[in-house]
This record gives sequence, C-alpha cells and structure tokens, in this order.
Amino acid sequence: MILRGLATLILAALFTLNLILPNSSFSHRGPENKVRADRPSQLAIGRALPPLELIGFDGRTYSREDLRGHRVLLTFERSVDW
Amino acid sequence: MNRLRLYRFLMGTLGVAVLVFGIGLVVSFFLYHRPNSVPSIPTGPVGHYFVGFTGCALMGWAGGLIGAARDPLASRSVGTMTAFVLALMAVIRMLAWYVGDYYIWLGDLPRTEASAFLLISLALVWLRPTVAESRGDRTATGSGSAE
Repeated sequence: MILRGLATLILAALFTLNLILPNSSFSHRGPENKVRADRPSQLAIGRALPPLELIGFDGRTYSREDLRGHRVLLTFERSVDW
Repeated sequence: MNRLRLYRFLMGTLGVAVLVFGIGLVVSFFLYHRPNSVPSIPTGPVGHYFVGFTGCALMGWAGGLIGAARDPLASRSVGTMTAFVLALMAVIRMLAWYVGDYYIWLGDLPRTEASAFLLISLALVWLRPTVAESRGDRTATGSGSAE
C-alpha cells in the first residue's frame, strides 16, 4: 500500500507538471504565436537584412555589404553537434 | 472482482493496441525498402532500422500484456513494468515538448500523449490485483497452472 501511494504521488506530480508546463516560468514553449511574441524577429519581408558576418567554405568572411546587389539564398539548419 | 476484470480489460486493450502499433511499425519498415518508396515515417535508413526493431519489441510487449490479461497472477510484474514504462514514456514526451525540436512536427501532441500515459499508468497502479485477489480469482475460475 505504501508503494502504491508513493507511485500515485509521483504520477500525480508528473501529471501536474505536464499540465502547468506551458505556463511555467522555466518553459518558453507554447502556442507558436506566443513563442513569436516572446522572441520578436528582426527578419521580415520588406525589411533590411540585419548586420551579419558569415564565414564561407573558402575561408572568406562575408558581410551584409558584400551580399548587397546579389541574389542570395539563406538557409538555416541545426548543426550536428548542437 | 470488478476491479480485476477492469484490470484485465485494460491490459487486454492495451495489448491489442500495442500489437497493432508494433505491426504497423514493422510493416512501415518493409514498405520503406521498396524501390522509390516514400517513407510513411519521416526518417532515413538508420531511423527505419530502429523503427523495425521497435515494432518487434512492441509485438513482444503486447504478448506480455495479453498474457497478463489472461492470467494476472502469473504475469503480475508485467503490470508493474507497464505502469513504470508508461510513466517513463510520458517523461520522454514532456521533455520532447519542452526541448521544442518536435514542436513543428507534433505541436502539443506529446503533452496530450503524456497525460494519457500517466492516467493509464495510474489506473494500472490501482487496478493491479494483489496476490490474494489474483489467487482468489484463479480459485474461483479454475484457470491457471497448479502451484
């Protein structure tokens, strides 16, 4: 009976944690609009690209000014060791 | 007695569901290896290797669940381990939701699944028969091997 009560307590705690997870202070996850509101983006259609420096495979450093006037396709992906 | 019947029903239903899901994973592994196939699960060869493995493991687990539904005393530990594994699966889903890598793909589904798994786990904890109850049932029904 003691073990059963202990298991119930643990499961109830996990269930409660699962319920309050979206509203907890340590969690920034939630509906996508909430995530976007939490982290306002500098990128938007029609707005200028924010200043950046990218190191190419050729070792050169490319800045926003280097890319000006060229058609550029930027893609983002998570690195393997992230 | 009603509690024991409910336990058996839950284990049996869970067993059938796990069996169907396991078969589905094994089938998707074989379908993936057809020429020019489009994977039903968005993963590659290594992922499908584990999908096939998981499907086989689920089929084995389903056998244990169905066996426990048929004879709760002989398979009491299956209920205990199933409750533990369901809680573990819930924790994994909560972590997956929290990390956010799966959010684009699954949305809030991991949290919903976690709630369901925790409720089933809780039900198993309280419905799982004691040794005395199971022995009483076996005597009443006359089923099971002699001890």
